[in-house]
Amino acid sequence: MTSRALAWRTITAEPARAALAIAGVTVIGALLFDMLMLSQGLLVSFREMLDTTGYDVRVVATDAFPGRVDITNASEVAADIAGLPEVRDVAVVRSDRAIVVVPDRPATEVALLNLSEGAERQGWRIVEGADLGAIRRSESSPPAVISRSLARALGLRPGSALPLRVLISGAASAVPLVTFTVVGIAEFQFEGNGAEALATTFDAFQRARASMSSDTADLILVASRPPIEAAATVAAISARRHDVHAFSNEQIVERFNENGFAYFRQISFVLSTITLGFAFLLVTSLLTVSVNQRLGQVAALRALGVPRHRIAATLVWESALLVGAGGLLSLPTGWLLALELDRILRDMPNIPERLHFFVLEPRLALWHLGLIALTGVAAVLYPVWVAARLPIAATLRFETIS
Amino acid sequence: MTAIVEGRGLTRTFAMPSGPVTALRDVSFQMAPAEYVAITGPSGCGKSTLLHLLGCVDAPSSGSLLFEGRDVAALSESQRSRIRLTRVGFVFQRFFLLPMLDAWENVELPQAEMGAGLDVRRARTRELLEYVGLGDRARHRPSQLSGGEMQRVAIARALANRPALLLADEPTGELDEDTGEQIADLFDRVHADGTAIVVVTHNPLLARRAQRHLVMKRGTLDGSGE
Repeated sequence: MTSRALAWRTITAEPARAALAIAGVTVIGALLFDMLMLSQGLLVSFREMLDTTGYDVRVVATDAFPGRVDITNASEVAADIAGLPEVRDVAVVRSDRAIVVVPDRPATEVALLNLSEGAERQGWRIVEGADLGAIRRSESSPPAVISRSLARALGLRPGSALPLRVLISGAASAVPLVTFTVVGIAEFQFEGNGAEALATTFDAFQRARASMSSDTADLILVASRPPIEAAATVAAISARRHDVHAFSNEQIVERFNENGFAYFRQISFVLSTITLGFAFLLVTSLLTVSVNQRLGQVAALRALGVPRHRIAATLVWESALLVGAGGLLSLPTGWLLALELDRILRDMPNIPERLHFFVLEPRLALWHLGLIALTGVAAVLYPVWVAARLPIAATLRFETIS
Repeated sequence: MTAIVEGRGLTRTFAMPSGPVTALRDVSFQMAPAEYVAITGPSGCGKSTLLHLLGCVDAPSSGSLLFEGRDVAALSESQRSRIRLTRVGFVFQRFFLLPMLDAWENVELPQAEMGAGLDVRRARTRELLEYVGLGDRARHRPSQLSGGEMQRVAIARALANRPALLLADEPTGELDEDTGEQIADLFDRVHADGTAIVVVTHNPLLARRAQRHLVMKRGTLDGSGE
């Protein structure tokens, strides 16, 4: 009988103990898996979110990115950048805060957005109605695509009228009320889950801001011409324009990693370490108790000539089977738990639709299984030491007397 | 003829919190092949300690022990383990069968450990279980067997690798008189088949079956070296 078979028989001889051990490892392993997903989730989903827009470079007004300083002369800057041989496409992003004024409804604050023509498809996904470009322009009623939450909140549908006034600190009364026509309802990629947003054309955006507006933008999105890499495009923009700062998506992710997301990484590191400690203590305790309960058997096996390494191998297999089963079960358990935790966290205000706190990645599953396996090995060391160093004669004598 | 096991001036002292306790004092003992020896004496007189030394599971504090002519003190732990596996069989008062294995598997275990092939193991296990009268209980676990049956399985396990020496420590200690008699009969058969036996017992009926009966008192052996 192999060590593995003997370990299997030992475990299955006490199914309740085995089930408790596996359940314990499963729960602890699920938490560990979640912590690993949390440590990388924001970064991974943030990177995906940036990459899926189709733009690999972002141009902003300040080096202190992420910051909120407008790019002046945005159209001129965008045109200059678009002329670089490294650049395939450029999109200008403008935003402001505004108030929707619907009769018999409380005033609702919304984000007013404008993306340069042709870039809309990267910013939102139409779920009902039409996009801005698909509607014939109307002088009297500019078009708007609104977020699902805004549509829900105000009961708006394609064709509804939407009176709106841009919010400018200290000058709200001077800005005219502009009535938009809802042409479509969309899922906004960069807006928070449940955030109320409205996108419109550049003309309508400028009109809504009236004379107070100037040609400013929050940022300019740039797509490199294949096969040129983002770093080369960043260098080209930096050489051409000293009044703006260009960052590749990778640089932006790195900045967020160093600043905003570092808390999650630190928290997940601490909790992962604690979780591994619990897993270690659980398995060590279970196996040590198990060995102590059968010291007589172990001593008898040694007396019968079963060598130490066979006893040790049997215990290692016991640990491997318990921890392995729990570890594998912890993957789906952890994933289900992560889905629920992600849903709770994403209910927070201003979390972009496509940003996730927990992201499942194959390498994280491998990391998780590796850590669990290491914990299983570490946890079995003490019980193995107890069994291997057992004084055979003294144990037989004690077990017989007791 | 070389003795199976020979102890010369064996002394075993245990370190205890209250001070060293000498369980065995200058004991010399020789065991011829196929000999049947019973050792009796009061509790705590050193019987089991001597048995453990003879079975190479413990080492003497002083004196020397030769197993089939080899100095046990000069052997490594793995070599001693190999001797126990191949040349010695142990029978314990409390059986120490593996509870998760059935009778067949308990008997098969030492053979598998020695590397015997599957066919050889099957034949030997069947033979041994028939030998101890448990051919029909092969698939019963220890918890499904009586005390006497468990001890018979333990004897079959001890004989699995055809040992030269069978060591039994109070093999009838947990059994009633009739069952003890059955075990004693079984030892007679084992001995008749050519295996040397040392049995440590309080049971005078069992001791009477042996060819040589030694009495131990306070760590010394009456008639040692006979």
